[in-house]
Amino acid sequence: MDTSEWLEETGKMHIHRADMNRLIMNYLVMEGFKEAAEKFSVEANIKPPMDLDQLDERIRIRSAIQNGQFQEAMRMVTALHPEILDDNSQLYFHLQQQVLIELIREGRVEEAVVYAQDHLAERGQRDPSILNELERTLALLAFDQPDSSPFGDLLHPSHRQKVASELNAAILRAQNQEETTPLLAELLKLLLWAQDELNKKKVQYPVMSDLLKGQIDEPK
Amino acid sequence: MDVEHSRAYIDQLYSNDSQKCFQAVSELKFAVIGSVREKGSIIEQGVVVRLLQILRAPDLDVLLKTEVATVLNSLAKGLPEHASALVQAGILPVLWEQLDACTGGGGGGSSSSGGVYTQMLLCCLRSIYRHGCAPPPPAWDHKLLSTLIHHGYHPPSNQECVANILAHACKVPTTCEQQQQLVEAGGADLVACMLCSPVTRVQLPALHCLTAMCYNNERVSNVMATKSYGGKAVPDLLAGLMARDRPREMQLAAATALTFLHRAGALSADDPKIIYKTLQCLVRFCRRDREVWERVEAGNTLAYLTERSIHLQRTAAMTDHLILTMNDYLKDTTPSTPPPTPTPATHPISVSPISCRQYDNPSTWPELMLEAALKVYASLGANDEDIRQRVIKTDGLMNTIVASLSAASPPVQLAAVRCLHSLSRSVQTLRTTFQDHMVWRPLMTVLKTSTNEELVAVSSSTLCNLLLEFSPSKEHILDQGAVEFLCGLTRRPHPGLRLNAVWALMNMAFQAEHRVKMSILHHLGTDQIFRLLSDTDVHILMKTLGLLRNLLSTKAHIDQIMQNHGKEIMQAIILILEGEHCAEVKEQALCILANIADGDVAKAAIMSNEDVLKKLMNYMVIPNVKLQIAATFCISNLIWNVEEGAAERQNKLREMGVYKLLQNLMTTTDTGLFDKVKTALQQFH
Repeated sequence: MDTSEWLEETGKMHIHRADMNRLIMNYLVMEGFKEAAEKFSVEANIKPPMDLDQLDERIRIRSAIQNGQFQEAMRMVTALHPEILDDNSQLYFHLQQQVLIELIREGRVEEAVVYAQDHLAERGQRDPSILNELERTLALLAFDQPDSSPFGDLLHPSHRQKVASELNAAILRAQNQEETTPLLAELLKLLLWAQDELNKKKVQYPVMSDLLKGQIDEPK
Repeated sequence: MDVEHSRAYIDQLYSNDSQKCFQAVSELKFAVIGSVREKGSIIEQGVVVRLLQILRAPDLDVLLKTEVATVLNSLAKGLPEHASALVQAGILPVLWEQLDACTGGGGGGSSSSGGVYTQMLLCCLRSIYRHGCAPPPPAWDHKLLSTLIHHGYHPPSNQECVANILAHACKVPTTCEQQQQLVEAGGADLVACMLCSPVTRVQLPALHCLTAMCYNNERVSNVMATKSYGGKAVPDLLAGLMARDRPREMQLAAATALTFLHRAGALSADDPKIIYKTLQCLVRFCRRDREVWERVEAGNTLAYLTERSIHLQRTAAMTDHLILTMNDYLKDTTPSTPPPTPTPATHPISVSPISCRQYDNPSTWPELMLEAALKVYASLGANDEDIRQRVIKTDGLMNTIVASLSAASPPVQLAAVRCLHSLSRSVQTLRTTFQDHMVWRPLMTVLKTSTNEELVAVSSSTLCNLLLEFSPSKEHILDQGAVEFLCGLTRRPHPGLRLNAVWALMNMAFQAEHRVKMSILHHLGTDQIFRLLSDTDVHILMKTLGLLRNLLSTKAHIDQIMQNHGKEIMQAIILILEGEHCAEVKEQALCILANIADGDVAKAAIMSNEDVLKKLMNYMVIPNVKLQIAATFCISNLIWNVEEGAAERQNKLREMGVYKLLQNLMTTTDTGLFDKVKTALQQFH
């Protein structure tokens, strides 16, 4: 099938506007964009799936994380949902790891080492995969320019985002929400996975190479 | 956190100023969360006592108490020993007391702060029970159960706690009464309601609770199977929760629940939910692409599901290459293949508490897989010869079985013996494969050395099968001192063992050499035979008679044995003929007499006993064809023409009226009897 035929066929699929709106609303609510959700609810004339005031706590926590205040975020989440950090030890580790990363980023080396010893060492002892991550993080101390070291990805803002999303999902679970990631994200993942499976089987088809632009390439 | 700082806030805990105290408890909360080390440290410092004190104090603020309950919950989420320490400090009565107080005071419209306090109390109880170290609620108090169940309807976080508490409390060696009490307190209705909750976190523990309630309990299972909620019956709800779009733990838990309902008799094997859904779900989870714990759980449940139904066994054997799939279990346990890198689960595995298996330690996984695979094979091969042959052909299975018989771990040994037992029901296997693999040696070792009653019982059943005449193993087993051992087993208190032992001896004696028979008689002794013939279990009685019959076969043996033990044997037979026994038993006794009558010298034992002769004549006319045939056959042997002294015997019997009796019997309509009678009459001159 050539690309134009492909595009024609896919163009025939009909998505209801209402469904699109629901997807967007779902995204806004999950990610905690309260004002946008309220406005969108009015403009698109759809009811939000939950009382939007419930978003407040997640918003506060997410902005604490975005501002690098991880200890504060941990306290907030414990005050609201005391079981989360006990029940999600990977998440707790990632939060603590972020504290460590921030200390390293600010060059507070001694404090970083003390923090690692006090809070993270015992965790590393229990779980070999955590130990691995811990070692990577501490290795940053060995470099003058940690950004350009092999472990520089830890300092990247996207790492903060990952932790923020992880925490967000945990809070949604604690609120007994069945879904913890936005449906839009799931749809895109489905697309990527399907393309992956086709590639593995060496099928020729027009590939969507850029999700953001929706760019479709000719099959090679 | 340095030592000074920590000491400061701990001291504050003991303050009478409730504000300071609250702050201290808050600090404590942040300190112990997520840190196993801190939890341990706090417990060691004896802080728990103070915390419990706060909970009990009637005048203290509910917000403070909630914070304390939160800390205790966090402590309980640590290691099992932390939860144990809490229990030992007396936390359970305090929690139950507080919960009761909440319910009483607050009622349905409790304030939100009261609601949060209740929630934390329930969380705390749940966290403790999840470790499995707590005893069930004090004597399964009805009031306490009702309180708990009352909280189980709303909100979802409470529901999750209640379901988990009930599920884990049930796990402790449950008695039927406990399960029944739970139902009476409203547990069945609650579970049905929870299954319909939109929240997965509630549905899953509800499934575990159901499983625990129904396990091995016919009455409760029947109640549960007929319950419905929102218009759907529980079995249908369960089938829905087993659908492929559900989380894996849920699918497995639902399949386990349905399995238990079936085994307890509430759902039949033909129910489509069982044979076309549950079975397939479990088989799916055995595949190689699943996690180890899923494969082990599914395997064990599958073995349990198919254990007693040939229909299910046949269906399972042709579902999705199951026999090959189980072979993968064996391959994944052998040391040559590196085991899949065991990563500790990223989130805790939610297994039904009924499953006593722990998956924390990856080094135990190979053994668990092995046990599961052997159990599945044992179930599959229990009844159908075709399946057995397919199982036997499994690559490396026999070697694995033989090795596992000598394994250190009793569950693996038991699984291996069960597997062997199923396979030993196949004559072909007995003659071929079992010979090649010398299974009898490790089996004998198990029998002689094990103290596990179940293991010995199944092993002795297997041995029985190995000792059937057409088994080439027989000779080897005899060399191992089997006779003496089996005779010893006949003295055991467990009736199953006695039965198997006698049965094995009976098989051993069938067409055996003289030395074997003498060995049996020598080690068993006529005293023990008498005891066995007086056994309360009729099956044991029958097999003992069978043993005697087998001993008393072939002329030379009969004469020898009767010469040495004739008196006792005749006594024994008379004992049976005179006793209150069913026709089957008496028939056996008469057959033994018939055998004795076949011996050259032994005949005298009967002929000289007027009482026995009279009994024989009675049995010839009794209205039971089988007994008549046996008695007639005996007479026939006595008067057999060819043998020495036949004439005297015939005269004697004619005098007693036997000839006349035979003539009368010629009118019988039964062909078998007729033939015997005719043969006998023909012998008379």
